[in-house]
Amino acid sequence: MAEFIPARYQPALPLDKLILQDGAPGAGDRMDLDVLIVGAGPAGLACAIELARLAKADGTELNIGVLEKAEALGEHALSGAVVNPRAFRELFPDLKDSDFPFRAPVRKEAVYLLTAGGKWRLPTPPSMRNHGNHIASLCEIVRWLGTKAEELGVNLFTGFPAAQLLVRDSGVVGVRTAPAGLDRAGKPTPGGTPPNDLVAKVTALAEGTRGLLAQAWCQWQKVPSENPQIFALGVKELWETKQPLDRIIHTLGWPLPTDAFGGSFVYPLEPNLVALGLVVGLDYRDVGLDVHVLLQRFKQHPLLKPLLAGGEMVEWGAKTIPEGGFYSLPERRSGNGVLLLGDAAGFVDVPSLKGIHYAMHSGIFAARAIFQNLKSGASLAEYDRQVDASYVRADLYRTRNMRLAFRDGFYLGGLQAGLMTLTGGRFPGGKYRMHADAEVPRRSSAAEPPLAGAVSKVDAVFKSGNSTRDTIPSHLVAKPDVPELVARFYSHMCPAGVYEATENGLRINAPNCVDCKATDVLGPRWTPREGGSGPKYKRM
Amino acid sequence: MQIAVCIKRVPDSETRVKIAADAKSLDEAGVKFVMNPYDEFAVEEALQRKEKAGSGEVAVICLGPAAAQETIRTALAMGADRGVLLQADKIPADPFEAARLIAGELQAASWDLILFGRMAIDDYNHQVGPLVAELLGMPCVTAVSHLDIDGAKGVAEREIEGGIEVVDFPLPAVLTADKGLNEPRYPALKGIMAAKKKPLEVKPVQPGTGSLEVVALMPPPERKEGKIVGEGAGAVGELVRLLREEAKVL
Amino acid sequence: MTTILAVLEQRDGVLRKISHEVVTGAARLGGAVEAVVCAAGPVQGIDRVGAYGADQVITLTNPAFAKYAPEGYAQALADRAKQGGYRAIVFSASATGKDLAPRVAAKLGVGVAADLTDLANDDGGLVVTRPVYAGKALLKVKVMSQPAVLSLRPNVFTPVERPKAGAADTIAVHVPAGRVTVREIKAAPAGTLDVAEAQVIISGGRGLKEPANFKVLEELARAFGGQAAVGASRAVVDAGWRAHADQVGQTGKTVSPSLYIAVGISGAIQHLAGMRTSKVIVAINKDKDAPIFKIADYGVVGDLFEIVPRLTEEIRKLHG
Repeated sequence: MAEFIPARYQPALPLDKLILQDGAPGAGDRMDLDVLIVGAGPAGLACAIELARLAKADGTELNIGVLEKAEALGEHALSGAVVNPRAFRELFPDLKDSDFPFRAPVRKEAVYLLTAGGKWRLPTPPSMRNHGNHIASLCEIVRWLGTKAEELGVNLFTGFPAAQLLVRDSGVVGVRTAPAGLDRAGKPTPGGTPPNDLVAKVTALAEGTRGLLAQAWCQWQKVPSENPQIFALGVKELWETKQPLDRIIHTLGWPLPTDAFGGSFVYPLEPNLVALGLVVGLDYRDVGLDVHVLLQRFKQHPLLKPLLAGGEMVEWGAKTIPEGGFYSLPERRSGNGVLLLGDAAGFVDVPSLKGIHYAMHSGIFAARAIFQNLKSGASLAEYDRQVDASYVRADLYRTRNMRLAFRDGFYLGGLQAGLMTLTGGRFPGGKYRMHADAEVPRRSSAAEPPLAGAVSKVDAVFKSGNSTRDTIPSHLVAKPDVPELVARFYSHMCPAGVYEATENGLRINAPNCVDCKATDVLGPRWTPREGGSGPKYKRM
Repeated sequence: MQIAVCIKRVPDSETRVKIAADAKSLDEAGVKFVMNPYDEFAVEEALQRKEKAGSGEVAVICLGPAAAQETIRTALAMGADRGVLLQADKIPADPFEAARLIAGELQAASWDLILFGRMAIDDYNHQVGPLVAELLGMPCVTAVSHLDIDGAKGVAEREIEGGIEVVDFPLPAVLTADKGLNEPRYPALKGIMAAKKKPLEVKPVQPGTGSLEVVALMPPPERKEGKIVGEGAGAVGELVRLLREEAKVL
Repeated sequence: MTTILAVLEQRDGVLRKISHEVVTGAARLGGAVEAVVCAAGPVQGIDRVGAYGADQVITLTNPAFAKYAPEGYAQALADRAKQGGYRAIVFSASATGKDLAPRVAAKLGVGVAADLTDLANDDGGLVVTRPVYAGKALLKVKVMSQPAVLSLRPNVFTPVERPKAGAADTIAVHVPAGRVTVREIKAAPAGTLDVAEAQVIISGGRGLKEPANFKVLEELARAFGGQAAVGASRAVVDAGWRAHADQVGQTGKTVSPSLYIAVGISGAIQHLAGMRTSKVIVAINKDKDAPIFKIADYGVVGDLFEIVPRLTEEIRKLHG
């Protein structure tokens, strides 16, 4: 087999397992809330905070619950990040920029096109000008937002992944959480916890990238989008460096092959605390492309090697990013009893590499729509109206084809993207059609020699803080009898070394998983496992 | 049953240790704090004993900074009834001082059982439980990995080198919990919500200086580069010698 | 006064070897060392204590002292300590020592400087070193109490022969009956040593070729006398060779043995990622370029089926 299409080997989304009639047996506790938010990321927490404030101002008591699958706030949060502060200002009008959980304002920046041994400085594209923005750690942002939410009386439930949507007719009434303490065969043990049902008048799905329940709802309610959602995989490291860095850096080109879309970022949280990462579109063609390995290669480039010399990698992580932009947004992000927020809806602008402020603003708009819905029965579609009337839609519309143009390769894509930038998105216009990543054929090429001094995937997983219980049942669903080429593809696709192609077929080291969701996009399906599993990011 | 459980807020076991600028303490920036894992066994045991008895109260006592309220809330979420924070910004380096403050609080009431974790995973002192027991004049058994209670009589098992020590003791008593005593429960959703409403008293305290003074906190000696000792069975003698004399693990 | 009181341990009337470490550690502080042990009668092996630096060896006897009597021992030792004006009282941080030392210390109104890896006179004071944060840091502490109460981490103070008089004496002591009594010491049930708790982990990988060959590792584990567990790499567990409970963590659990011996595990850094906090890692593999040797402290290249049995022999000799 020389070429294959990953979608052929992907199990379908198990809708019958994800959509559950309310009242179905199997739950331990049942909790009633006014509003349930799934995911304590920037979208979910901004929604909770705005909602709590609206209620307080109105003198109403609202029982708001936020479910988070990580053991503690922020532990599954990962981003570059350079943050546009406007959503913070909207959410906290009484605070100053210096009160927000940012590390440093962006002062200097540089964009380079890299070759194997050198670099060309490029003029910073307008979409990437970051003056006025701030370097931050998303973990720190989430923890800060969490404190604000708790001060306002929001209930945060960490360690509780939402596993199924509870529905009544065509409406969403809540979620059922994943059980904890199952043995390797999936059977409950005495110390474990059964699933819990959380029922609410409105459920906001803020699960982040490739949200499982968001996917399930869209499929169940047949909510279309112009293009399927497409994704990139980002692998990131946090370094304590001996040399200081005083600017943010973005690069294009090497070490990416020309038929892969992506680039790198290097952001100093402090002069000697540097976040760096490589982001690659999952529509790459080569079976052997391994984003983690490319990142290791990237660190050898003369631009980075001296910076990192003598330093220490203190954290590692990975996460996918929804890159489809405007045309991949679901036609509506609101429905009967439910809203889709943040990355789960696809509010990310690739050319500027921004998603956090869109996530937070979507949370704010959602909160306002929810509040009106609870107060006076107004339709939740008000959320869509508010987003569509805001800069969120305007920004995404302007860059709607820029990422998509790169499906034609680096140079042609770059040319088209450049033209779009100059014309504010008007030319080339129209709508670029995209295939889902899993529909893109993959082919094998010559194997690369191993890289000396690279961080191995397992060392990397260790540095993600992953201490998932080894006896936990596997949460990944693969088709049986995966051919060797496909197994090899998976082993390169996954940055955490979950998949190995052995003589006995595909081996799945499920506890390694850091919930980046690349597998759900291209390979075996991801399902939630017991709360607290996965990475424990601290300053990612 | 009236049970007191003494808990400690400690850095998570996966913490990457960075030494603070004063060269005497841990740099707490970005450190995740949790309930001392051995204390979880103590809390769980207290809850199980109270449930078995059918009535009573589990009170959680913690000596620590203001942020330790969160640690107490975790115990309340597991099912404890009330908490007391003996608030001090710095935990004294001398465990006797900690024991004195905790014993002072416990003295105010009468308990059937006072439970501690066997040791704290930050300072590895292994002593506050028995020190408190001595101050209160109560019987004490440490490192309990199995416990049977029948009325006012208890039998505990504790791991010692090469065996298990079976110990008889009367109640009321102070016990320190070891791994294997039970399987701590995950806090339930309802427990997390209920915890917010349970009483948590904060009492500022002033630790004395005690008789142990921290001179420095230092990184461990650099891990030396590994070496291949030799080839084949013939190298074993040298390996064992190195493990004994150099590495000191045999 | 500069006399150090060194507290020895006996079990079933036989002196435990850890006692030599206590005397060795006590002797580091200079001054006279008075060794003391609580027992019901004469203790076998007492005569050897002088060789490690004890000027005097006192046996405190009481019929209730045959087995460890926490309250009785504590009272007897505290009484002796109060009489003597000692500079320091040194215990082993053994299972018993960890229980006994705080009781004695509390009676003297002080805490224990516990689990020490080093101690010295410094500037007229007593300065000690102890590992903290699971060995990720060392704490240097000045002990200001008189007497100082100290406990020494086992396996650190390698006994050094420093012959002294070791003049033996027996003193009957009277203490109130204890409320806490040791009924018996029973054997630990075989095979229940949790891999996560073991001081020594011997882990086997695919290099063992087949499940039956794990016998070789089990023999080695037995030679360690109850302190060692046999672990398995995930590959081997997935292949069904070993039980799930034996699997050694690969995703960074809080496992921290003193000694981790990786047998027939080749590039398996993935099976050791969580083992990084092991004190010492030994690798045995026939491939001298195996990546495992890069992270091992000591490596032996060769046929594990020859090396491991030889190692078993040597360990048996040590523990015999």
